[in-house]
Amino acid sequence: MSDVTKHFGDPATPAVEQLSLEIRTGEIVALVGPSGCGKTTTLKMINRLVTPTSGTIQVLGDDQMAVAAHELRRRIGYVIQQIGLFPHRTVGRNIAAVPELLGWDDDRIEERCAELADLVGLERELLDRYPAALSGGQQQRAGVARALAADPPILLMDEPYSAVDPIVRERLQDDLLRLQGAVHKTIVIVTHDVDEAIKLADRVAIMNVGGILEQYATPDELLRQPSTDFVAEFLGRERGLRRLALRTVADVETITGPCVSAGSTLAEAHDAMRTFGTTWVAVVRGPTLAGWVDRRAIEHGEVASVGDLPAAAFVSRVAPTTPLREALDVIVNARSRLAVVVDEDEQYLGMITIDEVAAALET
Amino acid sequence: MIADERRGLIWWGWVGDHLDDIWQRTVEHVQLTAIALVVGCLISFALALLAVRVRWTYAPIRRVASILYTIPSLALFALLIPFTGLGMVTAEIALVSYTILILVSNTVAGLDAVPASVKEAADGMGYTPRRRLLRVELPLALPTIIAGIRIASVTVIGLVTVAALIGSGGYGVLIEDGLRRSFPTPIVVGAVLSVTLALLVDGGLALLQRLLTPWRRAERGGRELAT
Repeated sequence: MSDVTKHFGDPATPAVEQLSLEIRTGEIVALVGPSGCGKTTTLKMINRLVTPTSGTIQVLGDDQMAVAAHELRRRIGYVIQQIGLFPHRTVGRNIAAVPELLGWDDDRIEERCAELADLVGLERELLDRYPAALSGGQQQRAGVARALAADPPILLMDEPYSAVDPIVRERLQDDLLRLQGAVHKTIVIVTHDVDEAIKLADRVAIMNVGGILEQYATPDELLRQPSTDFVAEFLGRERGLRRLALRTVADVETITGPCVSAGSTLAEAHDAMRTFGTTWVAVVRGPTLAGWVDRRAIEHGEVASVGDLPAAAFVSRVAPTTPLREALDVIVNARSRLAVVVDEDEQYLGMITIDEVAAALET
Repeated sequence: MIADERRGLIWWGWVGDHLDDIWQRTVEHVQLTAIALVVGCLISFALALLAVRVRWTYAPIRRVASILYTIPSLALFALLIPFTGLGMVTAEIALVSYTILILVSNTVAGLDAVPASVKEAADGMGYTPRRRLLRVELPLALPTIIAGIRIASVTVIGLVTVAALIGSGGYGVLIEDGLRRSFPTPIVVGAVLSVTLALLVDGGLALLQRLLTPWRRAERGGRELAT
């Protein structure tokens, strides 16, 4: 998009002003801002539901005005908040809408419907039902399936999840990310929810009233360095916490902590405790974590090695894939103020404390 | 004896002797009704589409249709006779003009009731305006449109009996005949058959609507399921 302006009637109060935006293929871009910021207008200019007053928009390298509007739209998936499923058609016939417009034959359409139902997580039996018989979440999935039916390279989503309840919303957001991993579309999503934008998008465009682009950057960059006061205010006070949600334990340098191998002597275990000032020591057997042993057991133990003492399992455990925000919660709730990092094969990777989490945010 | 039978509400002997005549009146009545409805629908759909596309035309269209609707039928026949004479053309002009208000209003209401989100989704997917109208808006407006046709058909079937006064045939001929001769039987036969025809057509259209809009049942059932 370059220098795109749109005003409805009065040129003095444009809905979108001199907007230039480049959306890369395969990216999820979120347009965020308060109401009246022109984010929906911007989205609708991409598939020409709204015609720009001036400026040009290129879609897949071609000027979007070069083809008829309906031709252009058949190559761009479109999902809206109210979903807009056709009530008089079964879910299957809804999904088939664009392939029908494109003149696919019936066998191919039927095959594609079944494939899409699986892809978006919709039971195939539902394809023969009318939309009214579906729950809100199922209708949403059907809407996404319909938008993806003809395999368009671009998907536009206008507040797709604001009409569903928070639990379903979270699931649908996860589904979208999973789906994107499989289909690699260029997705433009409009939302007023900062957290949703941060969670879903590779890049976020923050817009201000009058269609002014305040900042266009990755979620991490936005949270670390908001370019204007408006952006900082819009992102809210919990910027640090929100950044934590973007990163995982794998981004953190772990420490060894008070940890000894099962073959170590009790004296060695004692030294480890003293070094870290703890009243317990973690015991690893080979690559896996056996558990922890407390000081009294070590001081009174009459065994050759630590491995012979009964070890208790760690409660405060995290995985490399755990978001840092969640890991922080585990740490502050743990009596020991740390969390052990263990991967899915029970391999022990180290420990993290608040210090390590904070250090990760500095980079 | 004969005089007594004539004075009763119905004299089956007369009915038996006049079956041919009654059948002919039935055919005439159905023809008059069908022509009025078909022409009325064509004119009304065209006007409704114009009203939906070019919004400001709706108010004047409605106003003219309302005036036509409120003119007493007899007066309208009388007004038309100098131009179109006695007979079917005059009758049809009057009958059609009575259907327009109902049909236009219901068609516009049906099209207006199509959810904006559904229209936006259709546009967003690349429906051309024509295809959107035929494949999305008209099917969704169908229940309201058919409801309008039901009202219009019942109205027309009733009015056709009045049209007999200007010599266009139908059950009205029987009623007129009975009135002129103070002979109740043809009046009763004409009235009962006219009402029966109206009920049959109304029921038939209701059934047609159910068959054409299976998704409406899902909507009602779906709401129960959803709760």
